[in-house]
Amino acid sequence: MPERPEPKAKAGVIKVGAKLIGWATDAKLREKGASGGLVTALLAAALKKGLVDKVLTLKKISEFEAVPVLTSEVEEVLQSGGSMHSVPVNLARYLPEGIGEQRIALPAKPCDARAVIERAKRNAVDLEKTFLIGLNCGGSIHPETTRKMLKTVYRLDPEEISGEEIVKGKLIFFTKDGKEHAISIDELEEKGLGRRENCRYCSVKIPINADLACGNWGVTGAFAGQGTFVEVRTEKGAKLLRNALEAGFAKVEPAEEKGIRVREKINRIMLKLSEKNRQEIFSPIEAKQGPERLKYFQKALENCIHCGACKAVCPVCTCGEDSKCTSYTSREDSYKISLFHLVRFLHLSDSCLGCGQCEDVCPAEIPLTRLYQCFATPVREAFDYMPGMSAQTPPYFALKLEKECGCQHHGLEKAGLEESSCAKEPEREGKREGQRQGQGGCC
Amino acid sequence: MDPSNKNPAPGLSWEPKIVMFCCNWCSYAGADGAGIGRFQQSPSMRIIRVMCSSRVDPVHVFNAFLEGADAVLITGCHLGDCHYINGNEKTLVKFKFMQMLLKELGLEEERLQLNWISASEGEKFASVVNEATEKIRKLGPSPLKPEGVI
Repeated sequence: MPERPEPKAKAGVIKVGAKLIGWATDAKLREKGASGGLVTALLAAALKKGLVDKVLTLKKISEFEAVPVLTSEVEEVLQSGGSMHSVPVNLARYLPEGIGEQRIALPAKPCDARAVIERAKRNAVDLEKTFLIGLNCGGSIHPETTRKMLKTVYRLDPEEISGEEIVKGKLIFFTKDGKEHAISIDELEEKGLGRRENCRYCSVKIPINADLACGNWGVTGAFAGQGTFVEVRTEKGAKLLRNALEAGFAKVEPAEEKGIRVREKINRIMLKLSEKNRQEIFSPIEAKQGPERLKYFQKALENCIHCGACKAVCPVCTCGEDSKCTSYTSREDSYKISLFHLVRFLHLSDSCLGCGQCEDVCPAEIPLTRLYQCFATPVREAFDYMPGMSAQTPPYFALKLEKECGCQHHGLEKAGLEESSCAKEPEREGKREGQRQGQGGCC
Repeated sequence: MDPSNKNPAPGLSWEPKIVMFCCNWCSYAGADGAGIGRFQQSPSMRIIRVMCSSRVDPVHVFNAFLEGADAVLITGCHLGDCHYINGNEKTLVKFKFMQMLLKELGLEEERLQLNWISASEGEKFASVVNEATEKIRKLGPSPLKPEGVI
């Protein structure tokens, strides 16, 4: 490992909007964690200094398996470091149910962070007590696909793998004998392997909705491969970073102009590619109209065995065990299309993140994320609402009970349901007033 | 009607079957008014009385379609006149979402309608019923209708 320059930056540079390069001070951590081990250091420092009570992270079982753990042991957090593209789990679902006293920090891909924010809107998570350390994400791979790729394309024994990394569009596997095996992701995807389908058209690659946005894009010069680019997004994020610096777990340096530009460029390229993939995947479905379209959905769902796994893993579903989609559905129903899925389509139309969890667990291999996105895309466009990116109320709940401008239709206008009706308000208000008085008189 | 009978006897051919949700305070009274006023209306409606149009859950609408309704009409008090202050505004939000979903699913937009009918609008009630029936007759049976159900 090359000698590092002594960082000139002090805690003072850490403020909202700052773009820095950071790394863990502990050499072992740098080696274990990806890109300088900053994220692991942040989590460990937060736990050690009591900034958070628990950390939610992934505990590695093998290269392709990991389980989410909620831990208060610093040692366990240090063990969790490292890149894991083949464990596409959404951590949001594993945050403790309900709003509790615990403060929790978790590493979050953009879809994890979006899910946590959507759960917070549904009162299932307290965002004030949740620290989101965002991780750049170009996509993840289903563990089954990884094994298949290793056997058929890389010609490697899955048990011989000691690590993996995605660098410059190439998926690299490290084997236990110390060799590197790299193949470009585009090449893999042409063969129907590579990233999960929803990752290919995902439109959030840098988690700007999290408290910190970390990643290896834009790490230039002496730091290449040895540091993490971190953008401070919120005051909470600044607190996390300052805490790690004060605890001596991490060091930071302001990012170079060049690095910032590189990071933006990578993001732009990725998003452009996503848009292209989205077009490719959805235009055949969009071309179908009327009865043909209905047939497409019926056909896609015909193998459903109603196991409910898609709902059980859905990170934005906060309905719990007894929910509308399951309670009114019976396995004996012989409807043309399942009521369970109709309710799910409606519920997800303003909240589906496209995280792909449902598709991953479906035993009947139904492309559920694609179906949900068919319903979510028009809503997103009509209401200009991207779930999980801000605290904005979901359009389905957008109706405000309190009057903001003395106009009862304010909420509807905001939701795009009604033309502006403020002009005719005084008359209506008068009418209502009169009605109320009349009612009072007769009772 | 025997559900296994796919070729009904003449005279038992398909007629639109429309499930109509009426709010207790306005639209249901409007239906009463239409009857008292002896306005001619098509017998295609199956009226379900609810306390407020916002009581109509998407599950009710989906279930109506899956059980064989050709269309679903939701009716309530005019905006601003809701007995429960703003129940019908919530209906409007729900309706918008259900409409978008059915459109995406490939169903014709006319199969789900929302109308505001007050207690005094018996004539409007009858004309809404007649117009909806005519529209649905032109569209034909719903593609979600189970096999063997007329």
